[in-house]
Amino acid sequence: MSNSLENDIAALLPRLRRFARSITFHREDADDVVQIAVERALTRSAQWEPGSRLDSWMFRIVKNAWIDEVRARARRDQLFAPEEEGEHVGDDRAEAQQQRMAIEQALRRLSEEHRMVVGLVLVDGMPYKEAAEVLDIPMGTLTSRLARAREALQALLSDRTRNKE
Amino acid sequence: MSFSDETLMAYADGELEPALAARVEEAMRADPRVEEAVRRHRALRADVFAAFAGVLDEPVPERLQPGAAPATAAEPATKPVSAPVAGAGAATVHSLEARRAARQAQAARPEPVRPRWGALAASLAVGVLAGALGWQAFDNAGQAPFGRRGGAMVAQGELADALSQRLAAEPAQADAVRLGVSFRDRDGAYCRSFMLGTTGGFACRQGGEWRIPVMAQAEQAQAGAYRQAGSAMPAAVLDAIDQRIAGGTLDAPAERAARDRGWPGGK
Repeated sequence: MSNSLENDIAALLPRLRRFARSITFHREDADDVVQIAVERALTRSAQWEPGSRLDSWMFRIVKNAWIDEVRARARRDQLFAPEEEGEHVGDDRAEAQQQRMAIEQALRRLSEEHRMVVGLVLVDGMPYKEAAEVLDIPMGTLTSRLARAREALQALLSDRTRNKE
Repeated sequence: MSFSDETLMAYADGELEPALAARVEEAMRADPRVEEAVRRHRALRADVFAAFAGVLDEPVPERLQPGAAPATAAEPATKPVSAPVAGAGAATVHSLEARRAARQAQAARPEPVRPRWGALAASLAVGVLAGALGWQAFDNAGQAPFGRRGGAMVAQGELADALSQRLAAEPAQADAVRLGVSFRDRDGAYCRSFMLGTTGGFACRQGGEWRIPVMAQAEQAQAGAYRQAGSAMPAAVLDAIDQRIAGGTLDAPAERAARDRGWPGGK
């Protein structure tokens, strides 16, 4: 196995962790998913064709690691402790933080399929075509799924805004 | 001419070919509703992106590095774990159960693991921080805002008063303390985030004091759309709050009730 592949994977780790954080329910699960994916990638490095996109391949392995190994045992419950959303807007910092937490919580309420497209396109910033390749779905499916995921996310977030008023 | 929501979304994401994009832009000029739909797509995208952007700046745990040996990869790098985790080499590396057992063994230890930022903050001399982080103003006003009790950093003076008494919704006072969110940590203690000048942190009520597990200097405001003018809560502090928070943040009535009861709970 070449060191350059290891180096290339290492360079992707921050993006892979960010993506994993957006599709899992817990940050430790997210890192477990990435760790499993890195190990799988190295044992299957022969399957990767040099010259093809390493990031698409790695994101796909991360997605599969979540679906195959971690999802069933993920500690979703811990994050759905009774929720008391912040009401006041004390200052800009508090508001920015509350917004960030609200988005993470809303994302966790989306379906698996929706979280995946949001994680790839909105969180990672991947072009539709690459995201469709990672998910192994046609472009049209990616687009309609992404539109529905955004609708659901928007609805969850505007519920929160309404409750504040 | 009308466009589907999917098309407007694709435009907002920069995914349309130039000719179609130009027609969408024409429609946006003609119809404020189209413009608004595009704006909402862009805003949601930007908000979601911003919510996770900080992960890129976090140090990557050693165990994730491709070069990490499989045996050590199954254990947290920070401490020896007594649970039978990694004995069988590569076969166990993929076992999430083992990894989780290792973490639970870690969690069961009597001494809680201090987040690395906490260790960092506690290891810095208060005097150095006071100079470096711009607390000089407090020297004139009376007691310094931070002290130490047996290795832990605690709030005192005006900062402690503000944490104990002031609600986040109250208008800013003349001092430099700004209160952020209040929440309960996993031990049941009440915690509050604060900014003091350009220093951000949070304090948890323990043993009648406000202990400060994490504190960091805010980055200067960025030019991007997601930073208001002024300094923002440092990402390390936000992450540490994420790790400690149980449930959500307190709303205003809950915060008031906790204050009125003297922030009970914790150890």
